[in-house]
Amino acid sequence: MNKDAKSIIVEDYAQSLTELTFNSRPIIYNLTIIARENTEVADGILKAITNRIYKCIPDQKLFALYLLDSICKTVGDPYNTLVGDEVFNIFSHVYLLVNNTIRQKLVNLFESWKTFKIKGTNLPLFPQDQIDRIFSFLSQANVKTGTNPAQLTNRSLIDDIDTLIPIFQKKMYEKPDPKLTDKYNALTQLKVLLSNQAMKLNELQAVQSQLNAIKQQELNSKKNMSPSMASSTINPIPSEAKPNNKVNELFGMLVVSGLIHVDQSLKPGSLPTYRLNFPKRKYHSTMNIPNNVALPSNSVLEQLLVSTHAKFNVSGKSIARTEYEQLKFNELNRLSIDSTGLQNFVNSNAASASEKSLLYEAKPSKCGTCGKRFTDDEDGTQKRRMHLDWHFRVNKKLSTSNVQSRIWYLDDYEWVKFKEASLSEYSTADPVDSNNPVETVEEQKEIPFVPVPMNETNMNNKCLICRDQVKATYNDDLGEWCWYNCIRAPGEGKNSRKIVHATCFSEANRKRGADDDLTNVVKREKL
Amino acid sequence: MTSVPTFGSDVFGGNEGDFEGDEFTEVFIPEGSEWRFEVPFKLTLKLIVVEGVGEIFGTELPNNVQLQLSGVKYAIYSPLEAGCKVKYSTVPNNNFAASTSDDSEVSEYISEETPMNQYLNLHLFLEQKRQKISEFNMGNISEQKKGPKVLIIGSPFSGKTSLSKILCSYAYKMNSSPVLVNLNPRDGVFSIPGSLTATPISDSFDLESTNGYGGSLTSGTTTHNPKQPLVMNFGLLKPEDNLELYKYQISRLGIAVMSRLEEDVLLKSSGLIIDTPPLSIKDVTIIENIISDFEIDTIAVIGNERLLIDLKKKFKHKINSSSLDIVKVAKSGGVVELDEKYIRDIQQESIREYFHGNFRNTLSPFKTDIDIKDYKFFSCFEASELNSNLAFLPSGDSFTPEESEASEKEKKDRFDLDKYYRLLEEPNASNLENCILAITQLPSRNNSPKDLLNACVLGYAHASKVEDTKQKIKVLVPFPGAFPRNHLIVTAIRYTE
Repeated sequence: MNKDAKSIIVEDYAQSLTELTFNSRPIIYNLTIIARENTEVADGILKAITNRIYKCIPDQKLFALYLLDSICKTVGDPYNTLVGDEVFNIFSHVYLLVNNTIRQKLVNLFESWKTFKIKGTNLPLFPQDQIDRIFSFLSQANVKTGTNPAQLTNRSLIDDIDTLIPIFQKKMYEKPDPKLTDKYNALTQLKVLLSNQAMKLNELQAVQSQLNAIKQQELNSKKNMSPSMASSTINPIPSEAKPNNKVNELFGMLVVSGLIHVDQSLKPGSLPTYRLNFPKRKYHSTMNIPNNVALPSNSVLEQLLVSTHAKFNVSGKSIARTEYEQLKFNELNRLSIDSTGLQNFVNSNAASASEKSLLYEAKPSKCGTCGKRFTDDEDGTQKRRMHLDWHFRVNKKLSTSNVQSRIWYLDDYEWVKFKEASLSEYSTADPVDSNNPVETVEEQKEIPFVPVPMNETNMNNKCLICRDQVKATYNDDLGEWCWYNCIRAPGEGKNSRKIVHATCFSEANRKRGADDDLTNVVKREKL
Repeated sequence: MTSVPTFGSDVFGGNEGDFEGDEFTEVFIPEGSEWRFEVPFKLTLKLIVVEGVGEIFGTELPNNVQLQLSGVKYAIYSPLEAGCKVKYSTVPNNNFAASTSDDSEVSEYISEETPMNQYLNLHLFLEQKRQKISEFNMGNISEQKKGPKVLIIGSPFSGKTSLSKILCSYAYKMNSSPVLVNLNPRDGVFSIPGSLTATPISDSFDLESTNGYGGSLTSGTTTHNPKQPLVMNFGLLKPEDNLELYKYQISRLGIAVMSRLEEDVLLKSSGLIIDTPPLSIKDVTIIENIISDFEIDTIAVIGNERLLIDLKKKFKHKINSSSLDIVKVAKSGGVVELDEKYIRDIQQESIREYFHGNFRNTLSPFKTDIDIKDYKFFSCFEASELNSNLAFLPSGDSFTPEESEASEKEKKDRFDLDKYYRLLEEPNASNLENCILAITQLPSRNNSPKDLLNACVLGYAHASKVEDTKQKIKVLVPFPGAFPRNHLIVTAIRYTE
């Protein structure tokens, strides 16, 4: 096979890859077969696939990765060896750019890599060091992979606590009791301590036994307990149908109360990180904690929080923030203000340059016409472009005819339903744009006119709307005097001299039309 | 496209450079200082920011663009280290007809002492609250919270309106969009005096317009994005002129505003900024009403220690349960006491702007004749009359048997209405001419007095001439077409063209 034929195969292959825009078994199967039959261009094909993975949009990356997985598993050599050293890079690249659902699929995929052995051999699919790197990468991202399920770890105990906390929450909510509060505090404190990784195995066991005691106690006091609860394993509690909601709520409360600060990195698809803001007054422990346990460090707590977050999926998915929003988020979170310190804060806080910049330089691009500021990122550039377009249109419109009047206010029902965004220059339903086609259509039509009635002697007339003078002109074709650019006022007879400018009429009518649309939507009683 | 046409450049652009040396005066405003200036109505101040950042009540000025200001008492604050350099010149204002001789000069000075730091801190506190709330709302679809609802209270001429503008502008600049509620019937906020309004601030203020807010929607294109206010009629200039009506309209406005917040996530997390007439501890019932109608959680008291302490005492329970923060901010030394004439002029100008627009956007109002007999005129009832008539009003609950429930109810409604509005039995020149008429949203066939009271304002008309013999009124309405409704409320606001 000559060089050209080879490159043609690779090109074809790359072309076929572009079809992989959804999870299609046939396509992946076909492409796997082609890869098997053309092992002599394996490097070219791999290059095409990896290119595809790196270049395509995040939502489609998974499918190309599935293809790679399929080829490595069914064809094996040379593909798995060739791509072997790249696997971590590819995997982490995809992982960082996708949403949580796809991430879960990636984790599943990775699980299969760990155990897969190449057909007829005992060799792993990918080099061990790559697998290890992915493993540590994933554990940094706080994803639980299926290792050591039985082993007693801080994490498993924390999970235990996490299932207990909602129960306590609910109980405290239903029947406030100081003892319960104490227990609850103890639990949360225990959780804090657990995240200190310095704990030794025997300590962990001690904690577990205490935890089991609490659990047992809770279960005994709980009337409608399910049988599964009697065991010490952590099964979901049927009577707690919505523990997630409770935890979400609690978590939200903690964020609002300022106990937890939320940070999210700019990297798309990244998870928010959480930082605890310790209350100044410490609560009393009702539990004996070994004195030698050091206070957990912040970073560990953050991890803990992220894991609870990931587990209970507080906000469903990561929040897409613009650079400005991110900066604002970080700056504002840094301020520590509470109700008692508010007056002091207002009196004497000296706003830092970076806080001030939120009002000024953080949106560095200032409109030369009106002073409105825009950010430098994609969102800001887009808005700025629309804003400048708007200025341009407005000035153009104002330089030509722009007869306008103030329109009526909305009634309360319409106002409540009014979409504020429709006022701005970024509105997709821009009134200027949407009106333009209508007007050009009107211009193309013949000039409207009203023939002066036979019995009329006064050739001068005026528009009922704008009250401007209208003089009659002679139309040679008709042999009649006519008022041009005018139409007869609606409802007037053939011999009436009541006329309005066609433009005034359409202007007035358009507004009434818009009004009617609105009333149709809200079904308001009309006259 | 070579360049984007800009404000004013077509009007004065050609000569700007030539006259720079002799016509314009330069002012440098150092960081943290503000340049305060007053421009009488008969002059127009042409103002250009040459260098740096300058803002008027939180609204940042464009650089190298000429603003035209008339009848204003403004201050340009220089927030950044580099300071701000401006230049200005004055020309006679041809748009203002009144020919009075007093204050014919621009007065101006630079002050280093401003409370802007405190105002910024207050804003940062509010913005942090907004952020936390919006964060919370994102994670809790079922139970959404509202952003900070701020009530600004202070003595007369303490800078309440300026603070409300600053808080709104800063919020807008940080991508929030609070609803600005104006409860001071003296000012027309996106409307005319005598109104109580609520307006979401989804764009910057238009400093060149009368009052420095901007306008409501027009049928065409405006140089500044318009706002969409909800307008309630009060029709009088001071709350004490009819406290019952004032409180009633506040609570109507409160209901609408709270419903609006439920409809819009951004408005909801951004909350409210409420500007008020001068209130003291004697008006505590009004304050209590506002707090409950608008679910106020933050009160900013401007420069009045006594009021602060009284309010703290009064609302101790709310403070203790952490449902209310009361915070004091300093009064700006730049606040000027407005004289009656200036207030009247500004009121007249804002009415003029409602009908005719301003020099940037000329509007075409519509003149028409209406027959008095086709309309029902109500007047806003003034409290002084109420006091004298109080003895004749029935007491609260009636124990009359329910023989004719419907008519009884009707009667009661009528009694209710009399406290607020009264039907004008003889509408004529003496009680209509030159009045501003509030056109209510009430459909023509609806005669329920209660509904009239609940109806908000569709727009305003001006009775420019009443011909008693013909029983006709020449009216000016903002928008062409048939006169839209037949229930009119005669306000205490007078206007002459």
